[in-house]
Amino acid sequence: MSARIADDELLITRTFDAPASLLFALWSKPEHMKRWMGPARLTCPEAEIDFRVGGAYRGMIRSEEHGENWFGGVYREIVKDRRLVFTFAWNNDGPSAGVETLVTITFEERDGKTVQTFHQRPFLNVERRDSHVGGWTTTFDKLAAYAATLAMEHAT
Amino acid sequence: MLGPDPLSVTLSALADPTRRAILARLAEGEATVNEIAKPFDISLPAVSRHLKVLEAAGLISRGREAQWRPCRLETQALRNVDDWIAKYRRFWTGSFDKMDAYIAELKRKEKRK
Repeated sequence: MSARIADDELLITRTFDAPASLLFALWSKPEHMKRWMGPARLTCPEAEIDFRVGGAYRGMIRSEEHGENWFGGVYREIVKDRRLVFTFAWNNDGPSAGVETLVTITFEERDGKTVQTFHQRPFLNVERRDSHVGGWTTTFDKLAAYAATLAMEHAT
Repeated sequence: MLGPDPLSVTLSALADPTRRAILARLAEGEATVNEIAKPFDISLPAVSRHLKVLEAAGLISRGREAQWRPCRLETQALRNVDDWIAKYRRFWTGSFDKMDAYIAELKRKEKRK
């Protein structure tokens, strides 16, 4: 199908060999976050977290290649050991500097392991902020169905 | 927040379901405003407004012939969105690899106690 429109959402599902309470702590405690934030060859020497709804966090990752990059955002939903929603943006001069994103993470524990579902999407204006999560996803599904219909019509 | 950078403008334009559907249509090939409007239950002026937003965001270009002005998908802006998402995917996937290793380390420490 040629009608492939760029996806502007990110979904990463991963199972960790740890209880949900530990996963939740890894996201919410700065001493933990510093140990894992950023891919290989990057370190996270700075992390500050005001862990409450409306509270802010910020941190910095560093590498020889890219120098220092600050990131940060605000917590929007906190459900202990189950769900975490926060904004995320890079505070640098790069091409994506102005783009705030919304991250939604859910934790589902099964037999001592935890499925972490990580979802990130752009978070652009008041209108979308107010319309909240559900609507956008629904819209997306409808569009996918519509695009498929178009493709079928085109093929026949 | 800073003023709208090109990526934000593109993402805003993409945030509308009708505009995404218009892009899906144009991915099949060039089309005039009338052809684009056909499957939608909205007026031509409304379609024109969507096209203006898409054009301003660099997602489409329009022919110069006054009568037809066929619309064409411009792929560079979409590619920029793809790159942006791909960078985030690499960032988080790499971070979660480290998270895995860190969890293993915490468990080893726990056992030693």
